[in-house]
Amino acid sequence: MKEKILIANRGEIALRIMEACEDLGVDYVVVYTKEDEESLHVRYAKEKYRICDYRDMNDLLAVADESGCTAVHPGYGFLSENFRFARRVVKRSRPLIFIGPSWEAIRDLGNKLFMKKLAKDLGIPVIPGTTEPVYNEIEAELKEEELLEELGSLGVQKPSLLVKAVAGGGGMGIEEVKSLEELRPTFRKIRAYAKRLFGDEGVIIEGKIPVFQHLEVQLLGSKHGEYVHFGTRNCTIQSPYKQKRIEIAPGFSYQETYSFDPKKVEEEIINYSIKLAKAFNYDSVGTWEWLVTPDGKFYLMEVNTRIQVENEISAKISFIENKQVNLIKEQIRVAFGEKLGYSQKDIEFKGTSIEYRLIAEDTKKGFIPLSGTITQISWPELPWLTMRTHVPQDKPYAIPTQFDPNLALAIVYGETFEETKKRGLTLLDQIIIQGITSDGKELKTNISFLKEKTEFLYKFLEA
Amino acid sequence: MQIELYKTLKNLLETATYIRDIKGEDFFGINSLINKISEVYDNFYQYEPSYLEDFVKKTKEQLDILLEQGEKTLTPYEIVKITRHPQRFTLQDILENVYDSYMELGGEGEINIDPAIVCAKAMLVRKVGDEIFFHQVMVIGHEKGHGEEFREGGSAKPWGNEKALRYMKMAETEGIPIHFFIFTPGAYPIEDYPGAAQQIAKNLYYMAKLRVPTISFISEGGSGGAEAIGLADMRLMAEKGYYSVISPEGAAAIEAKISDGRPPRELVEKCAKALKLTAKDNLKFGNIDRIVPEPLLGARRKDYEFFKRLKIELIRATDEVILQTRSIKFLRKYAASKQETENFKYYVNWDLDEDEIEILIENRYKKYRKMTQWAIHENKTLFKSFFDLGHNLSVKFKNEINYKILKQGQKTFKKFLNELTSESTLLLKPVSDPIKTVYNLIVGKKTGPKLLTPSLQDDDIPTYISPLGLEDKTITCPQAEKYGCPDLWVPDLYGEFCGVCPNCGYHFPLEYKWYLNNIFDRNSIRTFNDEIASTNPLEFEGYAEKLKAARKKTGLNSGLISFEAKIGGISLIAIMLIAEFRQGTVGVAEGEKFIRAIELAKLTRRPFLALVHTTGGIRIHEGTLGVVQMPRCTMAVKDYVDEGGLYIVVYDNNSYAGPVASFLGAAPYQFALKSTRLGFAGPRVIRETTGQDVPPDYHSAENALKRGHIQGIWDRRELRKKLFTALLTMGGKNLYYRW
Repeated sequence: MKEKILIANRGEIALRIMEACEDLGVDYVVVYTKEDEESLHVRYAKEKYRICDYRDMNDLLAVADESGCTAVHPGYGFLSENFRFARRVVKRSRPLIFIGPSWEAIRDLGNKLFMKKLAKDLGIPVIPGTTEPVYNEIEAELKEEELLEELGSLGVQKPSLLVKAVAGGGGMGIEEVKSLEELRPTFRKIRAYAKRLFGDEGVIIEGKIPVFQHLEVQLLGSKHGEYVHFGTRNCTIQSPYKQKRIEIAPGFSYQETYSFDPKKVEEEIINYSIKLAKAFNYDSVGTWEWLVTPDGKFYLMEVNTRIQVENEISAKISFIENKQVNLIKEQIRVAFGEKLGYSQKDIEFKGTSIEYRLIAEDTKKGFIPLSGTITQISWPELPWLTMRTHVPQDKPYAIPTQFDPNLALAIVYGETFEETKKRGLTLLDQIIIQGITSDGKELKTNISFLKEKTEFLYKFLEA
Repeated sequence: MQIELYKTLKNLLETATYIRDIKGEDFFGINSLINKISEVYDNFYQYEPSYLEDFVKKTKEQLDILLEQGEKTLTPYEIVKITRHPQRFTLQDILENVYDSYMELGGEGEINIDPAIVCAKAMLVRKVGDEIFFHQVMVIGHEKGHGEEFREGGSAKPWGNEKALRYMKMAETEGIPIHFFIFTPGAYPIEDYPGAAQQIAKNLYYMAKLRVPTISFISEGGSGGAEAIGLADMRLMAEKGYYSVISPEGAAAIEAKISDGRPPRELVEKCAKALKLTAKDNLKFGNIDRIVPEPLLGARRKDYEFFKRLKIELIRATDEVILQTRSIKFLRKYAASKQETENFKYYVNWDLDEDEIEILIENRYKKYRKMTQWAIHENKTLFKSFFDLGHNLSVKFKNEINYKILKQGQKTFKKFLNELTSESTLLLKPVSDPIKTVYNLIVGKKTGPKLLTPSLQDDDIPTYISPLGLEDKTITCPQAEKYGCPDLWVPDLYGEFCGVCPNCGYHFPLEYKWYLNNIFDRNSIRTFNDEIASTNPLEFEGYAEKLKAARKKTGLNSGLISFEAKIGGISLIAIMLIAEFRQGTVGVAEGEKFIRAIELAKLTRRPFLALVHTTGGIRIHEGTLGVVQMPRCTMAVKDYVDEGGLYIVVYDNNSYAGPVASFLGAAPYQFALKSTRLGFAGPRVIRETTGQDVPPDYHSAENALKRGHIQGIWDRRELRKKLFTALLTMGGKNLYYRW
C-alpha cells in the first residue's frame, strides 16, 4: 500500500517534511489555520486542509481519515511530545503510523522525574536532586540539607538549589534557593504556583550547576533494534529565558583546550544515551540533553522524543558514503519499518555547522517576540548556506502572534570551526530582514545579538 | 334544651361529613344523609322539638352503624385520610387534654420560628391512692393546626427541627423526659440553612445519646420528617395512624414514573396497601412498641376518652423506660399490676442517676440494633454462623487486648519516656555533641533524621480500564459552549482523565468499580458480609423481580458493599453505596451492612470511609423497615465517632433524602466531588410541596458548601491524594496509627 503522511505542523518544519516526502516518493497532506494562509507550506502543497488549531486532535484525525492518510508526522512543538496523541493515533479503530517513538517512550521519557529515576537505576549520571515529587515542607528541608552537602562534596563552590514545579518547564515555575532559610517560603510559593498553573502540587529540588555547556546527543533507532548516533551538538547559547538561539555541531571543538578529555566525555555521554534508548526500545530520532561542567562532569538533563529544530546541523556534519544525511527522511523511513541499511562505522563526521535562529524580538527589552509585517527578507546565495523559512520572499508576510516566533533558520557549514564562524558572521552581515510593527515602527530582529554571541561559541557559560 | 339539641345536631353533621371524607361519597348513601341533616340543621327552628329529638336519636343510631361499618371496611389509604383530616386531634388538643398544664416555648401560633413545630414545658399529674405527684416533661411535636395554613400541615422547616433540637438539649440539662408527637407528612424540603437533610441528621445524631428518657407518639409518620423527632426509647403509635417511608401518592408517582401531575387513584390506594404503613403492620415488624387504641374511624378533637387513655399510656411508657434502667424485679412487679385506670398503683421517680443514664443509652442502642434484623437474608450454614461467631469473638478479644491493654500501657510509658528524654537532652548535650562530631568524622557522613510520615506512592495504583473507555469515539463536554473545551477522546477521558474534562473540570459519571480500582492500594480490597441480601419483607408487588434484576446486573446481593482496604498503607474500613443497584437506595440489608462495617471499624480502630456513588434515598419497597435504618445507622455512627474514630463521607453524582438526612449527613467530615448533586428532596418533590421551582444548580456541590453542608469540594482526579491527607490529618485519637 502506498503510504500517505499527514503533516500535522506548520512553518519551516512542515516544508522540510514535505521535501523529505517528495524525496522518498511518499504522498502527503498539509493542514493550516486561518492565520497561516500566506505561509509557504500552504502555497507549495497540493493537498491541504484548513483546520481550527494545530493542537486539535479531532480535526487532525478527521483530515487524516478524509484524505486517506496512513501516517502522521507531528514535527516539533504542538502535539509532537503529547503521548496521548501518539497513543490515540495508533490505538484508534483506524490506526495510523505515528512518525516518532512509541507513546510509552514519549510518556516515560517525557516525564522528567520518571526519566531521572530510571536513568539513576541504570547508573546514568543525573543532576543531584529528588527523584520523587516533594509535597511537604519538612521533607523538603531534609532533602535540601542532604543536597547541599552532596553538592559540597562534589566540589561546587557556594552551592545553591533550584526548586522546580514537576509539571513546569521552559523556565516557568523554577526558583533558586541559596540558604536553608529561603527554602520554606520558596517551596510554598512554587507549590502554590504549580497548583494554580498545572493543577499538580508536586515540587522537586535539584542542585544548581553554576557553569556549564549544554550538549546534546542525536540518536536514531529503528524497529529492528539498530542504534546509531549523529554526533553531538552544543546549544549553550540561549536567550535569558532558556531558549536556544545558536547551535553548533559537533559538541566539542578539538582545537579548544579543556581541562578534561573532550573525546572521552563525548564518547561517554553518547554511550549513556544509547543505553537509556535501548532500555525503551527507542525507535525514532531523539535528542539526549546533557550538562557538562568545566571539570568534565556531566549530567543527563532531559530527553526530547521528537525531531528537533536544530537537527540539520548534525545532518550537515554526518556523511554516509560521502553524502550528507537527512534526519527527517531517516525518521520517516524507520517509522515505516525500514532497516537503516548502514551502521555506526559507515557514518563519518566532517566539518562544523552552525545554526542561527532568526527571530523578530527585542533583545534589549526582555526578548519579547514582536508582531508585525515582514516586508523584505533576503540573503545571499552561497554554497555553504542553507536557509529554512516559511516566510515568502515575494510579498509582505504578517507574523502570526500565537505561534513560535522563529522566522528563519540559517545553517552555515565549514571545514573548520574558524571558517564556519567567519562564514556565519559574513552571513549575519549580509542578511536583510525588514518589516514594520503594527504601530508603524521598524521591526527589530535579533541579528546583532546573534553576532555578539557568536564569539562565545564553545565557551563555558554561567547560568 | 333546644340549644343542646342544636349542638348535638351540629356534631352529628360533622361526624357525617367526616365519614363521607374518609369513606367516600358512595358510602351507604352518606350524601343523602348529610343533605337531610343539613336541611334540619339549617331550618332548625321550624321543626317541632319532639321531631328534632327523634331525628337526632335516629340519626345518631344511623351514624353509629355507619361508623361501625366504616371501621370494618377500613383500608390503609382511608387511614392516611384520617390522619390528614382537619377534624383529627392535633398536638394542641393533646397539650390541652392530656397534660395538666403546659407552657409553649419558642413561640405560639403564628408568632413562631416555625409554627409547624410546637415545644412546650408540660406537667403530668399522677394519682396514687390519695397522693398526687407531679411530673415535668418536655413536649416536642408537629402541629397540624386543624388546617391552619401557616402550620404547613405539620411540615417542619429546617429551622423548626433546629428549634426541636434546642429544646431537647434544654430537657437534657434539666433532666426531664421528652415526649415527642409526630404529626407530619414529611419535612419541608428546602435546603436553606441549616438545610432539611442536615438538620434531621443532626437531630438523629444528638438523639442517639440523649441523656433523658424519650417517648414518641406517632399519628402521621411521614419518613424523614418523622425521624427528626422520632428516635425514642419507646415508640407508641395511634391505632389509626400511619408510619411510612413515603406518602402513598409519592410512591405511586415513582411507581408510575410520572414527573408531573397526579398519579391515578387506584395506584395510590394500591401503594398505600403495599407500603404496610398501618399501626398493626408496624407493630408486627417491630418498628413500634405499642398501639394506642382509638375510637371507631379514629379519634377526633373531642374524643376525651381517648385523651384520658393517651395520658395513661404516656405515663406508663415513661415508667417502663425508666424502670428498665433499674432492677428487673421492680419492672416485673409493675408490669403485673396492669395499669389500665387513671389511678396508678405505683409512683415512679423520673429522675435518673449517672449509672441509670448509661444503661438508658445502652438500652436504646440495643433496641435499635435489634430492629429489622429479622428481615435480613443471610445465606449461612449452621457451621458457618458458628464459625463466624467464634471469629468475631476472637477479633474482639484480640483488639481489646491490643488496644485497650497493651497499647494503653505503651502509650503511658512513651509519654513518660518523652518527658524524661526531653529534659535530659539539655543536660546531656555538652557530652553528646562532641561524640556526634567525632562519629561524623569517622563515618564521613552525617546521619540525617529519617522522616516518619508515610507517603503516597503513585505506582501503587493498579491499571484499570473502565468499560466506558473501550470505544474509539469522541464526546463533547457539556460545558464546551461556555469554556470552549475540545472534544474528548473516550479512552483518554475514562482513562487518565478520571472522567474529568481537562479543560473545564466537568465530571462525567463513572461506574463504581472505577473508585474501587483507583482510590485504594493495589489488591488491598477485601469485601465482607457479601452474603447479606435485600429481601422483600413487605411482599411488595414486583419488588422481588426488581431485586432479582439488580442482582443479576451487578452480581451483588445489596446496594452497599463493605470492605477493608488500604490507602498509602493505611488500613481502613469502607462502604460504598452503588448506583447500579437500585440507585443506591438503602433498605434493611444496606443498613445492617453499614452498621456491621462501622462496628468493625470501631473494634479494630480503623478509619471509616463512606463513598456515595449515588443514593436515591430509603428504598420505598421496604417501607418503614427502610426508614428505621436512619436512626439505626446514625446511632452506630455516633457510637463510632464518640470512640475517637474518623468517619469521612465522600459524595458523588446524586445523593438525596433519607441516608443524607441521617448516617451520611451526620458525619463530621463530609466532602463532595465536583459533580455532586446533594440535598434532601429532588426538584419534583420541592415543586409539589412548596409550589415553587428551584434553580437548576440548587443541589450543586458549590451550594451545598455555601450552606455549610459539606467541608469541601474535591476533584475526582485528586481523590486518592485528598483521602490520604485526610487520613493523616483528621479524626480522633483512637485510630490505630495514632500512637
